Amino acid sequence: MDKVVTWRRGGYSRRVNLSTWLRLAAALVLTVLVMLGSLSLGKVILSPLEVIRILFSSQDASLTLIVEQLRFPRIVLAALVGAALSVSGLILQSIIRNPLASPDLLGITSGASAAAVLYLSFLSATLGQQFLPLAAMLGAALATLAIYLLAWKQGTSPLRLVLIGVGVSAMLTAATTFILVFSPLTTTLSAYVWLTGSVYGASWPEPLALASWLLGICPLLVLLARQVMVQQLDDNLAQGIGVRVQWLRAGLLLVSVALAGAAIAWGGAIAFVGLIAPHIAKRLVAPGFAGQAVMAALIGANLVMLADLVGRTLFLPLDLPAGIFVAVLGTPFFLYLLIKQRH
Amino acid sequence: MSPGVKLCSAGVVLLLCCVLSLAVGATWIPLPQIAAAFVHPDPLSINHVLVTTTRLSRTLMAIFVGASLAVAGALMQALTRNPLASPGLFGINAGATFFIILFSSIFSLSSPDAWLWSAFIGAGVAGCLVWLIGNMGQGSLSPLRIVLAGAAIAALFSAFSQALLVVNQDGLDTVLFWMAGSLTERSLSTAAPLLLCAVLGLAGALLLAGQLNVLNAGEEIATGLGQRTGLIRLLMSVLVICLAGSAVALAGSIGFIGLLVPHMVRKGLSIDHRWLLPGCALLGAIVLLLADTLSRVLILPQEVPVGVMTALFGAPFFILLARRGGRYG
Amino acid sequence: MRLSLGALALRFSAPAWAEAGAAPLRVITLFQGATDCAVMLGVTPCGVVDSWSEKPTYRYLRAALEQVPHVGLETQPSLEDIALLKPDLIVASHFRHERIFPLLKQIAPVLMLEEVFEFKKTLAMMGAALHQQQRADEILNRWQQRVAQLCQQLQQTFAGRWPPTVSILDIREDHIRSYLPASFPGSVLTELGFNWSDSSREASGVSIKLTSKESLAVVNADIFFVFLRAQNAAVQRNYESLVQHPLWKQMRAPQQGQVWQVDGVAWSLSGGMLGANLMLDDVARVAAAQVAS
Repeated sequence: MDKVVTWRRGGYSRRVNLSTWLRLAAALVLTVLVMLGSLSLGKVILSPLEVIRILFSSQDASLTLIVEQLRFPRIVLAALVGAALSVSGLILQSIIRNPLASPDLLGITSGASAAAVLYLSFLSATLGQQFLPLAAMLGAALATLAIYLLAWKQGTSPLRLVLIGVGVSAMLTAATTFILVFSPLTTTLSAYVWLTGSVYGASWPEPLALASWLLGICPLLVLLARQVMVQQLDDNLAQGIGVRVQWLRAGLLLVSVALAGAAIAWGGAIAFVGLIAPHIAKRLVAPGFAGQAVMAALIGANLVMLADLVGRTLFLPLDLPAGIFVAVLGTPFFLYLLIKQRH
Repeated sequence: MSPGVKLCSAGVVLLLCCVLSLAVGATWIPLPQIAAAFVHPDPLSINHVLVTTTRLSRTLMAIFVGASLAVAGALMQALTRNPLASPGLFGINAGATFFIILFSSIFSLSSPDAWLWSAFIGAGVAGCLVWLIGNMGQGSLSPLRIVLAGAAIAALFSAFSQALLVVNQDGLDTVLFWMAGSLTERSLSTAAPLLLCAVLGLAGALLLAGQLNVLNAGEEIATGLGQRTGLIRLLMSVLVICLAGSAVALAGSIGFIGLLVPHMVRKGLSIDHRWLLPGCALLGAIVLLLADTLSRVLILPQEVPVGVMTALFGAPFFILLARRGGRYG
Repeated sequence: MRLSLGALALRFSAPAWAEAGAAPLRVITLFQGATDCAVMLGVTPCGVVDSWSEKPTYRYLRAALEQVPHVGLETQPSLEDIALLKPDLIVASHFRHERIFPLLKQIAPVLMLEEVFEFKKTLAMMGAALHQQQRADEILNRWQQRVAQLCQQLQQTFAGRWPPTVSILDIREDHIRSYLPASFPGSVLTELGFNWSDSSREASGVSIKLTSKESLAVVNADIFFVFLRAQNAAVQRNYESLVQHPLWKQMRAPQQGQVWQVDGVAWSLSGGMLGANLMLDDVARVAAAQVAS
């Protein structure tokens, strides 16, 4: 039996599972180690101690540049993108009540991709690349809104959401392919890299912008977090307990889309993080949304950081998009989990 | 109207669509010339040559690809007893495409035979994976579970395809158009093995039609009636891979035909597979012919990839179906 | 001597980093056209990006760039490699490298060009930045002279039929691209005085993609300049099936025997002054062949 402590303060009470906290702490330590490791590796291999020295006192100009301006923002961006996508996936899996749901399914990824490719092919010549994240988020929001409205028939059911999500995604993917095929080849290449998901060339303003978005979404998430577990019950049962099911579902969907949309806007269409990381988190941590969410965030962060590390060190001087390796690293893990779960 | 009469009228419509496909293109070729091209071919007349080479090969490919995809979809829906099964939705198209890209870029194989085999392997791998994942855990094969499994596998293989293309940027331009589904002319001689495969698959499916009815009645009833369900299932899976694989090897990834045509035929014709399968073949051919004809003229002188057409028109249909379908819940 | 060079540099409002009498600059070129122009100016870059084909360097540049390290792809150069090479100047393109511009700026001063295929502008600006202003001027003058000379030669050769219409065709594995006047090869041919068909003039963009042989009539012109994208079997097969197609044989250029195969690298991939000069070589060859036939 896990040791559980109940913490009460005025009208607020919380059950704290000590083993969960221990594991979360371990995951946090792992994340820091991975970050340190990523900072040390690359074209120039430094030892972690050197990295710490460079961070606190800059001596060699080009090494400082490499560590502080080239590697660090990229790693932080990768971590934030991974964390946001995993939490988004976790929420979606509970809304859809199915462990195979992910942001890729509900039109978020395809909406953002269609908008991004449209922007890169036609508007980036005049407006520059600075509004790309905005376009991507707009695309994700519109696609999800369309799916939600189309799925609305005196309320939404998980099955209808998924089916219509698949249909709308297919349309958007077709539109994206269409634009890709007819845009000049030169834009096609950069659009394709974006579609695979990459944190190449990130400079400090980008992770900071993403972080501020995520911080903005956090309050809503915390507010709804307590009710996520109830959401997984049958609709009628939940209503019987007094939960306003439709509002809750809409609210959670909004949070999920906001998280995933922001992550995709800055990191490109990285797939699978939202699918794989929640699974791994659920196996490591006892049920309870808060614990699972933090664990999923940490695992997602590590996954994308590692994928980016592999992409930029293994094929030097080529710098391959992180998205490729998320799929490569995550899939065997995923299949292993699924097959194990059969028995 | 009896099913037989309906099938015959569908056949007539198919013939008309063929003629339309032969007539439409960058230049409109009038009917008498089309007839003359087959009866008294004049090697010096451009129109005659166009009709007998370029347009004929396109028309034939559209017919066989459309028929294969529709029949594959019907078979999958019977196999999994899931009204949402289809080669596109279940990642089989994506798997076949990925393996073709893999073998043609890594091993530089570019003959149609090589493509056929890689497409088969890809379709088989994807199908197995979806089956495995969809069957995971406890509970029955609910439509939701297997749709999600299929979407996950499709996304997986597209991600891998994209990965390969990012690394091998040279081939990107060529493969991109084909990946979106394209019926651009291929000489009939090179496409022959693929077409043969499609024909064999269709024939096999029609032969199995009676058995499918029995299988659909339910597991216990079928075994009770003496049917070897395991063997039938295996044969069906092989046929699906054969049909879907040859369709992808011929024309790239074309979605929604395998999903929607069986539904339309079930509604309009009969759920008896002995009528359903031929009906699917005919209607699938008609739909793809019309889509291809439209894609040729929409943005002259360039062409819309036909997979984009079927998605843009098929998806709203699908959404409508999903909204209406309470019986999938 | 150094002072006069410096004075020249200053006269053309040299950027802040250009000191009078500086040592040869370590420059990294991040797109094909810049590499090409650097070599033409006699400057060997200390780092270049991979070529699009004939990897890792185009054959016509291999001798000049033998020992030069590569810093990755034009679309995604490796920033760490660039930083470690400690360059004095980076030549990049707004079109490709807008996103990494803030990072590049921190490594070294950046000469940012708008596009990747404006070879004359690239040459002039690189000349100014690399203290090779005089040389750049010489090259540009020589270009003008060559173009004028070739123009005259072509007018004489074609006499009454001047100016003929042209089409530039890029043969790929399963489709054909036709380059429009706004493209790199298109602009050179326009400079030489060639004419374009109505459909080419009206179309927008840099190229059009023809996937169906039925649309071949769109590229009908008096002269075809053709190149094969890659030297593999599939492209060969596509070209052979193309020339045997009746619609092809019906067009003016094949009928008049004016289908000329040229070097694809120079015509569509180089984007630089050397490549443009190689284009002129090809056109001169065609003009000479006209006289012979």
